[in-house]
Amino acid sequence: MPPSQAPSLPRSQARLHPGWLRPLMLALPLLVFGHGVEAAPRVVDSGASQISFSVKQMGVAVDGRFTRYSASIDLDTEHPEQSKARIEVDISSLDTGTPEADAIAIDTPWLNANAFPKAVFESTAVRSLGPNRYQAEGQLTIRGSTRAISVPFTTTALPDGRLRAQGEFTLNRTDFGIGGGEWNQGDLVADAVPVRFNLVLSPAPSP
Amino acid sequence: MSRQDPSDLQRYSLTAQLGHWLTALLLCAAFPIGFYMVELALSPTKLKLFSYHKWIGVTVFALVLLRLLWRSVSPPPPSPAMPSWALRTAQITHRLLYLLLLAVPLSGWLMSSAKGFQTVYLAQLPIPDLIGKDPALGAALESVHWILNKMLLGAITLHVAAALKHHFVDRDAVLLRMLPALRRSTPLAAHGER
Repeated sequence: MPPSQAPSLPRSQARLHPGWLRPLMLALPLLVFGHGVEAAPRVVDSGASQISFSVKQMGVAVDGRFTRYSASIDLDTEHPEQSKARIEVDISSLDTGTPEADAIAIDTPWLNANAFPKAVFESTAVRSLGPNRYQAEGQLTIRGSTRAISVPFTTTALPDGRLRAQGEFTLNRTDFGIGGGEWNQGDLVADAVPVRFNLVLSPAPSP
Repeated sequence: MSRQDPSDLQRYSLTAQLGHWLTALLLCAAFPIGFYMVELALSPTKLKLFSYHKWIGVTVFALVLLRLLWRSVSPPPPSPAMPSWALRTAQITHRLLYLLLLAVPLSGWLMSSAKGFQTVYLAQLPIPDLIGKDPALGAALESVHWILNKMLLGAITLHVAAALKHHFVDRDAVLLRMLPALRRSTPLAAHGER
């Protein structure tokens, strides 16, 4: 744009859009890009989502998942640093497909579901790593212990307006005091527990 | 007695003997572990016993394949004279033993996969799952593993009973063929006894 025309632009805008229209003009981007700018938190579609983990015992990976959890995720794709996420997992919903193993996993030496019914992740910061790639920093609380973790994840916009957020991180179960006593002998059960999540988030409600 | 150091005694090769007795030793561990572990409540001990049992099974499977390979290269010595029904029964039993020694570990591996527990040999070498997790199939394969093991126990009982009968009743060289020649460690000593 030639510099000579630049000063005339505000005047022409003012002429085209009288004062009473201005708030509406400002609101327009919000209406169009609403879910990117100031959306109410999205809720997770449990039926389409998975939170799973894998525990290795003597080299054998035993996979499990949690079937009940709630999440409030305000993912601001335009300003990732303004995103907030809080995910609560119902420990007693643990399911490995082997009832005997489930009973052990939620028992006192392991996740102690009676005393600590929920595991909670609360984000403290989210930053962009590239197109549709993010990293969330946050506090993970399991079995009464809180540790800072970094969770990389990617997002995919689904055709129906929902958003898929998926990623993986590894926690050390002994950081949280998970699995004690006789279970900690030698390297019977690996310390590192990979956790995978695939959360399908509802379309952001209009502001 | 013809069985005392018969001059024409032809023994199994040392390789074949090693394979035979190693298999016997492994089965002496795998059977008791298997029967005991399934009764236990889930505990570290149970997990360890399951792993040991599976590792033994994988070892037996590999060992039997090697033994069959060796058998094709180095055929067993001729059988001592016995009635044809006895020869045929021995032949059928041996084939059944080989078959079951392969089928039992196979069924255990498949059962384990179907129940969602991969077999990781010596906690190091993951053996791929041929089938995915399927509880109904897992329960069916558990029955198959159980029945095949009962058949294997039956065949082993017949095998051991026949070997003992040959040795102590018929007093022939059938069992000696599967034993190393300890008494004849030096030709000089053997001559000296005579």
